[in-house]
Formats: sequence, C-alpha cells, structure tokens
Amino acid sequence: MKCEQARDAMPLFLYGELPFEDEEKVEVHMDECADCRAALAKQQALFQAIDAGRMIPGEELLENCRAELRERLEREGFAGQRERSEGFWDKLRQGFTIHFHFLPGWAQVAGAVAMLAVGFTAARVAPGSLGGPWTTAGVAEPMTSRVRYVEPTEGGRVQIVLDETRQRVLSGSIEDQAIQRLLLAAAKDPSDAGLRVESVDLLKNRPQSAEVRGALLYALQHDPNAGVRLKALDGLKEFANDPETRQTLTQVLLKDDNPGVRTQVIDLLIQHRTDSMVGVLQELMDKENNDYIRMRCRKALNEMNASVETY
Amino acid sequence: MLQATVAQAAVKMDEPELIRAAQRGDQRAFEQLVRLYDQNVLRLALNLLRSAEDANDVYQEAFLRVYKNLHTFRFDCSFHTWLYRIVTNLCLDALRKRRVRREENTVVETREGVLDRMDTVEERRAHGDPQRQLLSRQLQARIQKVLGELTPRERMVFEMRHYQGLRLRAIGELLGTSEEAAKNCLFRATQKMRAALGDFV
Repeated sequence: MKCEQARDAMPLFLYGELPFEDEEKVEVHMDECADCRAALAKQQALFQAIDAGRMIPGEELLENCRAELRERLEREGFAGQRERSEGFWDKLRQGFTIHFHFLPGWAQVAGAVAMLAVGFTAARVAPGSLGGPWTTAGVAEPMTSRVRYVEPTEGGRVQIVLDETRQRVLSGSIEDQAIQRLLLAAAKDPSDAGLRVESVDLLKNRPQSAEVRGALLYALQHDPNAGVRLKALDGLKEFANDPETRQTLTQVLLKDDNPGVRTQVIDLLIQHRTDSMVGVLQELMDKENNDYIRMRCRKALNEMNASVETY
Repeated sequence: MLQATVAQAAVKMDEPELIRAAQRGDQRAFEQLVRLYDQNVLRLALNLLRSAEDANDVYQEAFLRVYKNLHTFRFDCSFHTWLYRIVTNLCLDALRKRRVRREENTVVETREGVLDRMDTVEERRAHGDPQRQLLSRQLQARIQKVLGELTPRERMVFEMRHYQGLRLRAIGELLGTSEEAAKNCLFRATQKMRAALGDFV
C-alpha cells in the first residue's frame, strides 16, 4: 500500500469501516511508515477536535419541545377518541395543504354524487332553517366529502377543494312539517333505495296530507324499486275510492312489471267496483300472464256480469 | 446510538406494546414512545442544524408525522428505523433549504452568532481532557464552518457515522441508499475536513 492510499483510507480505518483485507494493509503500512503514523495521529486529533464541538440539548430545550408537542397534539385532537379507520382523512392529512372551501350554495353541490342522502336532502330542503320542534344532536357530526377538484401549486404542493356535507341528526314528530319535507325529499333520493323504503314507510302513515299522498302516488308509478312501490301502495289503501288514486292504480295494474305489485293493486281496485273498471280488467285479461292475477280478474269480471274477453 | 435504555427501564410496556397502544389512540403510550427517542432525535437535529429553533422545528414535525402515520406502521422494520427515516428526511430538507438561503443571501451567518443564540444549549465541556481544553474557540468555529459547507448528504452521513456512531450499512438503509454510496459520502466529507482543517491540528 502506498502512503496516499493509506491516508485516504485513514478515516474509514478509524471508523472501523474498512473491509478486513484493506484494514490489514493499512496496519501493515503503519508499521512501516512513520510519516503515515504521524498523519494518523493528526487525523485522530482532528476527530477529537470535532468531537469537542458536539452539542447536547439542555433540559430546558427538551422540556420546551415536549410541552410544545403536547400542545400541538391536543390541537390535533388526540383525546383518546380518535378513529384510526378514517382512511380518507388520514391520507389527506399526510403532507397535503387542504384549503377548505365551504361552498355555500346548494346549487353548487347539486352536481355532486355519492352524498349521504339524508345529509344532502336535509341541507337542501331546510338550509339553516332550524326553527321548529326538533332537536339537533351533536355539533361535530361526521361529514361526507367529495373532492371537487385538485390542482398542483408551487413547490410540489397540491391544492384540493372539497365539497363537504356535515351530517346532522334531527329528530321530531312525523306531524312536523319540516320533518315531513325532509322525508318527502328522501323518498325521492335516486341513489339510495333503502332510504326511499324507510322514508315511504314513515310517510305512508300520513296519507291524509295531499303532499304525502302525491309522493306516494309518484313513488308507486315511478320508483324503480318494487319494495318502495309496495310500501307506497300500502299507504294508499284507504284511498282506493279516491278517483285520482284509482286512476294511478289502474295505470300501475297495466304497466307494472312486478306481479306482487299488480296482485296488490288488483285486490285494492276490485274492493270498490265501478263500471269504468270493466274495460281495464278486460284489457288486463288480454295481456296478463300471472295466473293468480288472471283468476282474480276473471272472478271480478264475472261478478260484474261482464264478459271475460273482448271480441 | 440508541441510548434509550435509561428511558426504556422506566416504562412498564415494551416498545411493541407501546406502539400498539398508541395505534389504538392511547395518548400516554404515545408520549412514552416519544420519550424513548426524543432526546436522540433532538440531539441529531441540534448537531446537524446548530440551531435550537430549527432543532425544535424538526422535533415537532417529526413526532407529529409519527403521530399522524403511526397507524400505517406495520412492524416491517424497527420503529427506530422508521422514525429515523422521518427525522433524517426532515433534517436533510432543512439543510437543503439553508443551503438555498445561503446562496441567495451573500451574508453568511457566523458560527459565533449561531452559537451565541443557543441560550438553552450547553456545549459539551472538556471534562479535564487537557488536549480538548487547549482547543481554541477559533478552531471550533472553523470546524463548524467546514461542516456547514458540506453537502446536506455528506453532512448527514458524517453526523450519523461520527457523532451517532451508526454503521454505514445502517446509514444507507436509513437514507434509502446503498452502503457503498454512504461510504462515498463519508469519504468525501472526511477528505474535505482534512483539507480544510489539517493544518490546525
């Protein structure tokens, strides 16, 4: 080994980071070369001088750091109640700057999809009008969020604009107008059939209200979910004599693709027989392929002394 | 480097238990976990950045990140490695920013100025070693100047090898590079130090 190589290897030699063979070569060279031994001593002295500049944090600095951290964790909401499964928020919090644009106009939110239906409709139907005999439970309810847009900003950061719907829990009487408005809106929510079933189920107990009855008739005619239509039909039973309701029932009987719904409708219609029904029942006999419904239909026509088939 | 044995003796739960408890939202467990490592974190940041204020910034940011991301820790590596990756990245960022600042501003902060601001920092005393006692303040200022002129990576590797006593292989792992690359960094750092300081010792 030459002196130059030995001197280059000295720091790694002192750190014990040389491969075994190289370490051996340095040691052999040191035995032979007084100049390099002097250089090694100098290197060691340099390391010692560097060591002397070592700083250790004082107690006060450490305690200040700990106190500040504790304070910041408190602000972050470390109160032992933190849900660790809220992946969306956690991901957002990691290294992103989030600018919260609380979009005020509900029209702006209208384009959003996947909003939690109750939160969405509650806010849309009753924006801030919380007067009335209901209670609001909880202020910091969970929110539903939707990323409206993302854009890169300076320094490799990202700006994310979120639409947020804060959930509120409202409770009140079914008689309450505001509660009914919410239920009526929820009964039409296109994204959640389960919510529509529940809402119609609640509303069907109040068909005296013209608004509710309108909603039930609409659901019976237009809801894509048979469960919702059956619930609506249930609520309309006591109005089987009402001309508007009968007209809707007649249309449903001829159009609805669900035999369960048609069965319920024909049972309801033939409880109150009118002459105007004959044509409808005859038309039904022409197209109906469900045996039970055909039987009920034939029986009703016979009882009305009408012919079963048209010629 | 871990010198955490003192703190570890004081805790009732062992480290994996503390981590799991903290992951479940146990604040006291999290604080204990912090105390296992925070002295070493602060020391590393302080020696790299030579500023109590900047060291505190790294301390806060590092443990806030640990707090926010602890639920993602899956025990794939040691917690120490995981923590130090966060800390070393923050320190490297701080060193890089400082380098940019220095290039922008022609005024270079003197080492004396920096040291004078460290009201809460104690310099290690020489403890009766006559050779250390003889080291002039001028030499210390010079050493700090040379350290400050190393690239952030060289500075980091030198700090971890020389002060923290980490093996090059571990340094490579922490910095996301190879042992060989860490070795080259260390070599350049020591060459620069010898060139600048060789005449002083």
